[in-house]
Amino acid sequence: MSESVIEPAFSEVASWNVFDANVRVGPSGVHGDLALETAGLLAEMDRFGIRQALTSHFVAEEYDVLAGNRALARDLHPRLVPAWAALPDKESTEKLWALRPAAVRLSFGVKKHNFSPSTWCSGELCEGLQERSILTLIAREDIEWDSLASLLQNFPRLTILLLETGYRADRYLFPLLNRHANLYIDTSTYLAHRQLESFVDQFGPGQLIFGSRLPLYTPGTTLAVLATARISDDAKLAIAGGTLRQLLGRAAQ
Amino acid sequence: MKSPIPIFDCHGHLGSHPDFPALKYSAEEMIEVMDLLNIEALAITSTLACYSDCPRGNAEVAAVVKRYPQRFRGYVTVNPNPEGEALRELERWNYFHQPPLIKFHPDLHKYPVNGPKYRPVWDYANQTRAVVLVHTWDSDPNCGPLMFAPIGREFPHARILLGHSGVTMRGYEQSFETAKAAPNTYLDITGSQSHRTIIETAVARVGAERVLFGSDLPYLEAAMSLGRVLSARISDADKEQILRKNFLRLIEED
Repeated sequence: MSESVIEPAFSEVASWNVFDANVRVGPSGVHGDLALETAGLLAEMDRFGIRQALTSHFVAEEYDVLAGNRALARDLHPRLVPAWAALPDKESTEKLWALRPAAVRLSFGVKKHNFSPSTWCSGELCEGLQERSILTLIAREDIEWDSLASLLQNFPRLTILLLETGYRADRYLFPLLNRHANLYIDTSTYLAHRQLESFVDQFGPGQLIFGSRLPLYTPGTTLAVLATARISDDAKLAIAGGTLRQLLGRAAQ
Repeated sequence: MKSPIPIFDCHGHLGSHPDFPALKYSAEEMIEVMDLLNIEALAITSTLACYSDCPRGNAEVAAVVKRYPQRFRGYVTVNPNPEGEALRELERWNYFHQPPLIKFHPDLHKYPVNGPKYRPVWDYANQTRAVVLVHTWDSDPNCGPLMFAPIGREFPHARILLGHSGVTMRGYEQSFETAKAAPNTYLDITGSQSHRTIIETAVARVGAERVLFGSDLPYLEAAMSLGRVLSARISDADKEQILRKNFLRLIEED
């Protein structure tokens, strides 16, 4: 952190072994100077005591999946675990399996990779992800709630990490969480007053995973919310990285 | 984590919310969180008033401010749509605070902040040197930040807080433009979009003395905004201005 005498109490974060589930690297045509190359990203992670990050690439999200995956391979670092981009066609999925992924990030949205999460379109891809226990990241803005519900129902062993749910989502989320133990959410925008505590009270900490949305957002917000949440230390450790490491470990096996 | 500086928070609410299940939103439950984070006082506006019913909503604020005068300051929330109601409400609750604290929500009341029905209230705010907190949103036709530059120039004695500073990166840019054009406009950083470096940029563009801390209690986690400020690459003196001094100065309690 800075040399300020008004030092935020982020010092405890270093002992949490934080694994950030929602990070992107590389240049962005949309986000300009907020986007960071690998060295800048690692410096920001150091500043906030973030040890590792599940990382996708802006080029994959904004431009082309194959080019983006090549860029991600080029820009990786031992502290950055890749979340590869994927498409549902056979050629793309074969290339994806060759990467032996632990995690992928799907961008269904019509303004992104423009394919349907429905079984008639993505069935084989989702089946493959499920069989290989690959953690599947989907941003909330890229999927409608009804489509997410169908995906969870049709692929009950597909582990989905829903990113950037926003803080107004509980009326959609809670019915899905009650039905599907394979649904996880990240904390990057789950920031309503007492919301983490309420979540942990109802569901336990196991389906909640720390995400910052670096480099677009500052981790100062999400870390502060986790640090001040009135939940147990064990729950904080699980959210900060314990659960994510377990999920990624399943794919490795 | 606790703020090392006792905070004066310019942006809070009272009441539940239609869009999502608000949690633990009573005054007492808010005080619990305020104590935890070292928020000395919070200025609140009635959410009932922001949506549907100013007279009853402002009465709810009156009750809380009376019960906890050290911990809460009350905005009088006004709606320009019912004819004459806004000025009646300002007179009815004129004991809330001097100078008056006034809240507009042109987005929810679906009426442009520069429309003729708001003029009597801007006049009142100008005459009384009121602090006016207005909800703003990037390019919103009723309350986009750029709409406030001419208002600020026309009513130079009103002190205008651009609530949420337009929210998005573009909204912040619009707020910077307005702050440059009207010296009586201020940036309230309340909000759920926590862009990296935005606090640093705001301080560089408009000066720390025109940036104010807001939490949006009891809807957003107050630690979120606190984390943004405490972790920003700005001086301790700037943080103290943002977290405390600026709002105290504007409401003339310093």
